[in-house]
Formats: sequence, structure tokens, C-alpha cells
Amino acid sequence: MTTLPQAAPAPRPAPGPGPPAIHRVRRRRRPSGEAPPLPRHLNASGKWWLALSALVVVVWVVVWATGTVGLFDVADTRVLQAFEEVRSPGLTEVAEVAGVLASDTAIYALWLTNLVLLIAVRRWRHLFVGVAVGIIVVNVGASMAATLKRPRPYEVEIIGPWEGFSMPSLRVTVLATFLLITVYSLVPAGRYRTIAKWVVCALLAITGLSRLYLAQDHPTDVLAGVILGVAVPLAAFRLMTPNDVYPVRYRRGRPAHLDLSGSRGDAIVKALQDQLGLLATSVEPFGLAGSGGSTPMRITVKAAGGGESCVFAKLYAATHVHSDRWYKIGRTLLYGRLEDEQPFHSVRRLVQYEDYVLHLLTAAGLPVPTPLGIVEITPEREYLLVTEFMAGAKEIGDAEVDDGVIDQGLAVVRRMWELGVAHRDIKPANLLVRDGRLVVIDTAFAEVRPSPWRQAVDLANMMLVLGLRTDAERVYRRARMHFSDEEIAEAFAATRGLTMPSQLRRMLRQQGRDLHADFLALLPYQLPPVRIQRWSWRRIALTVATLVAALLCGAVFADLLRSPL
Amino acid sequence: MTRRAVPAALALLLAGSLAGCSNDSTSAVLAAPLCPVDDDDADNGVILMAQSVPTASWVPCIRTALPLGWGFLHLEARDGIAQFWLNSDRDGQQAVEVRLQPSCDTEDATEIVSDREGMRRFERVRQMSPTFDGERQYLFDGGCLTVVFQLDGDSPGEALALASQTIGVISRDDLRAQVHEASGGRIELDPPAGEDG
Repeated sequence: MTTLPQAAPAPRPAPGPGPPAIHRVRRRRRPSGEAPPLPRHLNASGKWWLALSALVVVVWVVVWATGTVGLFDVADTRVLQAFEEVRSPGLTEVAEVAGVLASDTAIYALWLTNLVLLIAVRRWRHLFVGVAVGIIVVNVGASMAATLKRPRPYEVEIIGPWEGFSMPSLRVTVLATFLLITVYSLVPAGRYRTIAKWVVCALLAITGLSRLYLAQDHPTDVLAGVILGVAVPLAAFRLMTPNDVYPVRYRRGRPAHLDLSGSRGDAIVKALQDQLGLLATSVEPFGLAGSGGSTPMRITVKAAGGGESCVFAKLYAATHVHSDRWYKIGRTLLYGRLEDEQPFHSVRRLVQYEDYVLHLLTAAGLPVPTPLGIVEITPEREYLLVTEFMAGAKEIGDAEVDDGVIDQGLAVVRRMWELGVAHRDIKPANLLVRDGRLVVIDTAFAEVRPSPWRQAVDLANMMLVLGLRTDAERVYRRARMHFSDEEIAEAFAATRGLTMPSQLRRMLRQQGRDLHADFLALLPYQLPPVRIQRWSWRRIALTVATLVAALLCGAVFADLLRSPL
Repeated sequence: MTRRAVPAALALLLAGSLAGCSNDSTSAVLAAPLCPVDDDDADNGVILMAQSVPTASWVPCIRTALPLGWGFLHLEARDGIAQFWLNSDRDGQQAVEVRLQPSCDTEDATEIVSDREGMRRFERVRQMSPTFDGERQYLFDGGCLTVVFQLDGDSPGEALALASQTIGVISRDDLRAQVHEASGGRIELDPPAGEDG
């Protein structure tokens, strides 16, 4: 194996200015038992509905075990007889119309509408929870009815359609569930959802009264159906799609970006004071356009000598870990063995890793924002990574790039090579220039002891970014002071197409010049391109598993298109 | 929590969907509608069938344990009709269907001597082989009990005997008495008859 000749060591880039002077107060440890800044909760109504569901189950177990169902039968029968007393042809017609929501056609239409709308707005998590809840409720309701075996109402004439045993009223259960799915997955939280809940309440009341008038169900059947049909979706949506993490919204915006106002904003302010001793006065989104994997923000804090200063923070949530996992699976499918990373399994690990990389690079003298600490917002779900705010810095694509900046960029890559680190996301948005000093940000994708291929890609991408505001010849000339021809040739053999960040590819296209070809033309010789597509057993297994999963999903989806009843 | 909940919910989703494939209707009753035996009352499935056809003076039920090789599939009861099916390991799935309706068409059927008191019996055979396809109908006050045979096996005799021996009937009066007693005399099965009736 040939060893590439090493270029002369380059001077390390000068360290950036220190963090802004921030006023710090005494930190406070959260005592055992105290809720975290942003606790996960079901809300009082969710707990009430779950308690009612449990009560229904307990009551029926007792009734079933003691054989005292007759008491309920008598009470229910008297109520239904009272309805029977007021029957008239006109009222019967009204009741038949009022009960139409519980018909086969209406329930099926509601189910399909929910599915189609959730697919159309690509709200996959809500779709997934809604479908799971729908299937669970239908099967639990049917199983309960089959276990309790309660006949239809006695001693009254049943004048509406019915089928099967009556407790709980399966149609009311399913209708309540499907309406709740609509409310929690399609209606934005706040005023609209509150109105929708009252509408659902009214619809269920009308349907229930209709079914009692027509004597299709006992009153306790309807009551049990409503409780079961409301409690299960309510608990599922509040636990699995909490609104502050998975908001229902129709305006444009990346789903990765979380809402920083309201309870989360308050929690961030409180957590910063308790955990880092920072007195935040405002929290606002910052640089959302350049971030797809977290929610970046600028936090205004009180400065040491009075006045205000700023810190930068990135909020990571469980959604970002899931995105990271899918992203890495996707890249493994696309690139095979070259994508050699394992996904993170928790938000805490993800944030710890980025914080560690920042400390590593800071200690090595690389120009990165100084890390200020990790803040826990919700345990295992949301963490904030706080760093120095690079006030006045411009993206390299908008900044003046002189030989000094070019040298700093190339020295950064050289220093990372020496440290055994690859940044892996060298693009204009991640290279800032402030007062002629280059700063590298967003080290979330950095890798310790990367493959030589990744290190080579970092160099080529850095040269391409630097060439955007200058030209290939100038960058190449400066690069030869830091790297050998062999190293530069290797970098451009490793880098092409998809190995460049999409922002860099887009900017190259916009400029209308083939900067990559310009660099290749300057090389004294070219190395054969590094093959990106590499097969491994893991890639083959993952591809097969993906195909099987897609087939299964297709089969399940086809089954879901049938009527749930 | 979420990491564990998602695969669990996925498994439930898959299981639910697969379970849904095997069951035609969520209102299907899987327990056999057993006739009263000694001190035991008739099963609630029998009462449900009686409610399906409020005019029927007789209601079908399963009298004894099914012979070896036979199994109960499920019961479906709705307003106007109640049906249940029996599976056979020799005569196939849904080899015997028992159906209770307010009335039925006996045209083209041959009336023979009835083996059940208070009922008229009709037989209709459409095909003998390779599959036995026939019906037996019992007409009585306010209802009709139909036993449909779709037998894949060689000898239909066993299924025809099963229809006579295992499938029983219980009178509506007995069911009324059962409901009355079970509620301590406070509830009746049927609403009081109208002034005209």
C-alpha cells in the first residue's frame, strides 16, 4: 500500500473570541419528586376519561361475576320505556335521521375520510396512532360485547336496526373513537379544537338519544360506548402525539421545528436559570431555514455588566432521533457500506454526543462556538444544547472571502485530520465568517475516527465551498500549502454528486459553473473515482427487510380500506 | 416510552388487521347458543335470536355437544334475521347454516311429516353430488326455521341427522319465563301486546 506524502503542517487557526459576558446566577438542583421543566401529562380530562374507563371495566367485572346484571336491566328498561311513551311518527322520523352517524355508511365514510386526509397532509404519526386506536377500540369493544353477552333491550319495541349483543354499544364506541381521531389529528389545538370537541359532544349526544328513542341500545350501553370510545383515543393521542411535540398545523414549515412559545418557551427560560444559571429574557427561533434536524434558537440573556447578551441553542426532541434513525437507514440503503454509522437511540445520547464533539474541537483549538451546557426540558424527550452565539457572523456564501479565510478553512480540515475527526456536513450554512475569522458550526454529524473516505470528502467540500466566492485556481493554490497533490486528488476522487451536501450542490448549480471540473482540471493527475455504491450483508438484509415491510404495509393498508365494522 | 410504544402499537395494528381478516363481522357471536339443560338457562345468544324475530314462537338452539368433527363457527343476529353456522372436518366450512326469519318461501319444497311438534316441515334438495345442496324448513307461528346444507363429503346422512338431533328449539314462552324469573319478575322479554293484539 502506498503512503501518501504529508504536506507541511499548517499553523493552527487562531482561537475565536471568548463567549459573551453573561450574567450568571446560582444554579438550582431539581429535588427528587419535582416535575421537570416541561412534564409530559395527560391533562386532567384525560385522567378522568381513563378513570371512567377503568370504572366501566370494574363495574362490569363485578356485575358479570355476581350476576347482578338484572339491576341494570331494570333501570335501563324503565328509561327506555319512558322514551317509548313519547314516541310518535314525526319524532321517529327525526330520531332515524339523528342516528344516521351511527350507520354503516357514515362510520365507513368517517374512517376513510380520516385515512385519506391524514395521508394527504402527510401526518404519518397521527395516522399511525389513529389506525392503531381504531383497530384496538373496535376489537376491544367487540370482545367486551361477546364476553358480557347482554341481549338487546327487553320489554320495549326496538324500532331501529341493530346487530349483535348490546354492551357496550359498538356503534357508539366506534363513532366516538373516529370522531376523536378527527379532532386530535386534523383540528389544530386551541380554539378550533375546543369548538370541535363541543361539536363531537353534541353529535354523540344526538346519536345516543336517537338510539335510546329507537331502543337500539340500553342507556348504559351508550354510556359505556362513549367512555370507551373517548378515553382510548384521548389517552393515545395525548401520550403518543403530544401537541407541543407533534402539533397539528396547516401552515408551511418543517415538522422538525418545534413551537418555542407557550409552555415550552416558559420551560426553556426556567430550565436555563435552574440548570445553567442564565437569566433568559426572550427565546426566538433563529436560522430555521438552515436546520432540518433540530430547532435552533437565539436566547436573549442578561449580560454580566447589565444590558443584554445572547446565546445560541438547539432543541432536540424524540422526533429528531427518529428522523436521524430513518435518515441513516435511508443512507445505508442508498450507499451501503460507506454509511457505517449506527443511529442514536435516545435524545440524551444525541445531545451528549454533539456536546462532546464541541468540547473536543474547542479543546483542539478549532474555531467552533463554545459549548455552554446541556439543559433538560423533558427527561428522555427534549434537551437543549446551549452554545456561544456568533453575533455578527455571516454565512460564508454571503461574506467576503480572502486568502486568510481560505487558509483558515483549509487549516480546519487539516486539524480535523490530525485529530481523527470528520465534520461530514461542510456546506455554506455551516461555515460562518465574523471579522475575517472563520467559524465552523453544526457538529452534530461529526464522526470520531472516520473512514479515510469521509476525511477526503471533507477536504473537497471545503475547497468547493471556498471556491464559491472565489475561484478554483486560487483555492487550489492555497490548498497546496496545506495538502499534497495526492491528498487533493484523493479528495476529488471521493467527492461527487450525492457526497456533497444538497445546499452546496444547489449553490453550484445556481452559479452555473462546474467548480468540481475546474478543480479536476487543475490537478496534475487524477485518481480513479472512489466507488460510492458498496454492497454488504447489512445492506442486503436491510433492503430485503424494507421490501417485506413495504409489502406488509400494503397488505395492512388494503385491509384498512374495508369497513371497520 | 415512545420507543417501546411504537413497536407495540405496530404489533397491535398488524395483529388487529390480521384478526380483522379472519372475522367477517365485529358483531359475530363466537359462543354457541345452547338450549337450556336441567337447571341451566338458555344461552343469551338464544334470547338475542328471539329478539331478532320478535314474532317467532320458536327459537333454534344447540341441544347437545356437537358430534366429533363438527364445530360451531359463529352466530349473527340482527333485526329481522338470526343465523349460525356449523363447520365440519369432512363436509367443509359452513356445512350447515341455521337461519331464523319471520317467514320463508316454501315454493318448490316438498312437505313431509314433521319431527317437531307444532311445526310444518318442508324439504328441498337442489343437488346430490358432488356437493349435497339442500334445505330443510320448519314453519311455525310467526317464524320460519331454515337449515341449509352445503356438504362436501360423501355421505350427507350424518349432517341431516345432526339437524334433527343436535339442533333443538325452545319456545318463546319458555324464554319469556326465563327472562321474567332472572329479573325477579320485574322485566318481560317482549313489550306488552298492543290493544289490537
